[in-house]
Amino acid sequence: MNNPVILVVEDDTPVRNLMTTTLKTHDYKFLEAKNGSEAIMLASSHNPDIIFLDLGLPDMEGVEVIERIRSWSNIPIIVISARSEDSDKIEALDAGADDYLTKPFSVEELLARLRVTVRRLSLTHSNADKDSAIYINGRLKIDLSAGCVFYDEEELKLTPIEYKLLCLMAKNTGKVLTHTYITQNIWGRSWENDIASLRVYMVTLRKKLEAAPDAPRYIQTHIGIGYRMVKVD
Amino acid sequence: MDKNVDTSEHILVCISPSPSNLKVIMAAVKMAEAFHATLTAIYIKPTNYTNIEESDKLRLSNNLKFAEQNGASIATIIGDDVPLQVAEYARISGATKIVVGRSGVKRRHFWSKPPLTEQIIINVPEVDVYIIPDAAVDLKQQNEKIHLTDHIRPTLKDAVITVLILIAATGVGLTFTLFGFSEANIITVFILGVLVISVLTASFLYSAIGSLASVLLFNWFFIDPKFSFHTYQTEYAVTFMIMLISSLITGTLANRLKMNARQSAREAFRAKVLFDTNQLLQKAEKTDDVIRITARQIITLLDRDVVIYPVDESGSLGSGIKLENSHSVASTELTDDNEKEIAEWVFKKQQAAGVYTENYSEAKAQYHPISQNDHCYGVIVLHLNGIPMESFENSVFMSILGECSLALENLRNAEEREKASVLARNEQLRSNLLRSVSHDIRTPLTSISGNASNLLYHYSQMNESTLMQIFSDIYDDSEWLIDLVENLLFISRIENGQMDLHLSMDIISDVIEEALKHVDRNVNQHIVTVSNCDEILLVKMDSRLIMQVLINLVNNAIKNTPVGSEICIQSERKEDTVVISVSDNGSGIPDSVKPHIFEMFYTGQNKVADGRRGLGLGLALCKSIIEAHKGTITLVDNQPTGCRFIISLPMEEVTVNE
Repeated sequence: MNNPVILVVEDDTPVRNLMTTTLKTHDYKFLEAKNGSEAIMLASSHNPDIIFLDLGLPDMEGVEVIERIRSWSNIPIIVISARSEDSDKIEALDAGADDYLTKPFSVEELLARLRVTVRRLSLTHSNADKDSAIYINGRLKIDLSAGCVFYDEEELKLTPIEYKLLCLMAKNTGKVLTHTYITQNIWGRSWENDIASLRVYMVTLRKKLEAAPDAPRYIQTHIGIGYRMVKVD
Repeated sequence: MDKNVDTSEHILVCISPSPSNLKVIMAAVKMAEAFHATLTAIYIKPTNYTNIEESDKLRLSNNLKFAEQNGASIATIIGDDVPLQVAEYARISGATKIVVGRSGVKRRHFWSKPPLTEQIIINVPEVDVYIIPDAAVDLKQQNEKIHLTDHIRPTLKDAVITVLILIAATGVGLTFTLFGFSEANIITVFILGVLVISVLTASFLYSAIGSLASVLLFNWFFIDPKFSFHTYQTEYAVTFMIMLISSLITGTLANRLKMNARQSAREAFRAKVLFDTNQLLQKAEKTDDVIRITARQIITLLDRDVVIYPVDESGSLGSGIKLENSHSVASTELTDDNEKEIAEWVFKKQQAAGVYTENYSEAKAQYHPISQNDHCYGVIVLHLNGIPMESFENSVFMSILGECSLALENLRNAEEREKASVLARNEQLRSNLLRSVSHDIRTPLTSISGNASNLLYHYSQMNESTLMQIFSDIYDDSEWLIDLVENLLFISRIENGQMDLHLSMDIISDVIEEALKHVDRNVNQHIVTVSNCDEILLVKMDSRLIMQVLINLVNNAIKNTPVGSEICIQSERKEDTVVISVSDNGSGIPDSVKPHIFEMFYTGQNKVADGRRGLGLGLALCKSIIEAHKGTITLVDNQPTGCRFIISLPMEEVTVNE
């Protein structure tokens, strides 16, 4: 997917300028919105590919904007928040946001998140063409119909829960999944012990997945928030 | 009336259904105005309130209304011992003056009780009592009537005792006549009989009946003509009169003696219970303890089920705590359906309700507020199981409630004092912080804004290397500000001297990895190594805070060691703890500095007043974070050179779901 259109929603002019300047210097196309209603209007009329959304908007809560947009579209939304509390990010992620960025953020970080999302978009596009029973991410291959996982064509021995976890992460590649979301999907509940178990399974899964010394990081840990499967080239 | 004008005077006025009571209230109102005092109207409601005439009830409610309209707060206490209850309330509420009405000046008979006013004075000698003459209706008489009915409960047992003793006295008398003893002896035997009757029976009625019967029996059996009520000699009429009077007096005296004995026994018991309660309550350190002790004392005393609704932290009524006596039977059935509703009402109005009271009298239990100085601490529900409390029980119950609310008020005051002192400490901390922060923010801000203005106005005159220097300065300074703000945010989470932790189970190696993503950008000029043990180390922690600790420690190492130094982060398990160490091979920390390294605002060797890297916040924050996690942080020398910070955190065993 080349040259995606990005909608920047931010009420603070200097920060919006910083973002648009950064996008311009990296040859991305962009739209600007100063508040929530403008953002919803632009999202519906111009159909952007990615949205950068500030959570603290003058006219409505960022979470409401996410919910409104999610009612008709799956456009990836990257939330930008000055609130350092994890609960705000988790709330936004659970409302349907794909990723988050905390102010103050560096320009490199912004571009990195953008690249991750663009790659994910191309993955969903390419996977949509093929038979969806096979998932391929770099050297990782999941045969969903046979229930087997291969790394460099070599089968990995995963426990049932590790396999379930991997499939869930793969299905949501590029998206930050909250602890609650994952435990709800794996165990159907989210107790303290489930979250502790999740941590342990993630460590064992990653050890198997990233056993090769040159293996890329497939799963990112977001402390206090959750995990994300990354699209690897 | 504005209660804040002067609370040093507190006037108590006694309300009665008497029509002349209005005069008493008026006098009290005037007095309250003159003294700028708070006014409380107290009504001691008899337990047989329902038997009181309607006209009296109407007058009473009018009197209460009148008092309320004139700025008095109303206290209704259930009980029959008016002086004791008034005195008790005065003591508990800290009243300084009591205003009572008095119906004329009665001559005091030797068997009558001392008047109301006198009893109040005896009970609370430290309070001034004002008596307003009150001529018309005799309130006291009514009260005494109530007392009389309270005591006379003729029982069959007492009647049998009376009859038996009279028969015995007659028998002894007949024996005496056989031996030819004089009549005087027989009269003495009968008087003795009456004395025994009044000692053995509960009611004065029997000694009176006994006296009369003795005279009649003496006449019938021993005076000629025998077996008739006639006499030949008129002098016997005098004998009978004297006999009747002396036996009546004997009976009354004995009865009074007994009453006094019972009274003093009760007083002693009451004093003991109150003393015990007081002792126990003084030891109580928490509101819950006070309530539990009170409930236990009440249960011991009254042997009835008790439910307590304490007031929770938000100031509303919490859920009830049920406490049952040892042999309670299916008491759940006795609980009122609308118990919570009544309790809420009692809490709001601070007035008693439930059975034997004016409000919610259809309820099965009695509801009393635990209140002191207009602040209600909870509601106590007493399950009476259909049996009303005796006036004595009631007065002790009220005293215990009074003690309880006093104890609760003391606790609340202590808590408020504690809060105030913590607040003061926090304020001190904050003002120190603000002072040092504003300095530390100013310095990088000066550099940023100055550099930016140079760029704005003199851009064309600058060469490439100058520009690069300015850009990197702006970047460094803003990064430094970001770092500062992060630390400040965590400081703001220290409330009441305690850190507010968002605990979750996290893996140490993940936290270390994440922390290294957020350290100073100059980290590339140093060699950082991480060695985690193979075991998965799960710790229950606030991972953001622990991350901040690691960031601060690594940033410190980066700042304080020369370029190219090694920084090593290790994690391992030692029995039940996880030990994380951050070490460097720099020049180390001098021994003179070590003891102060974790102090707030300590800035190490940097003694220059305008030093850039001031704000000795980092390590102090680390220490408070680690201590909030019940862990320890220590500083040791690294071998061969440098320093090593060792953090140990308690570990959690986890069972993993399958």
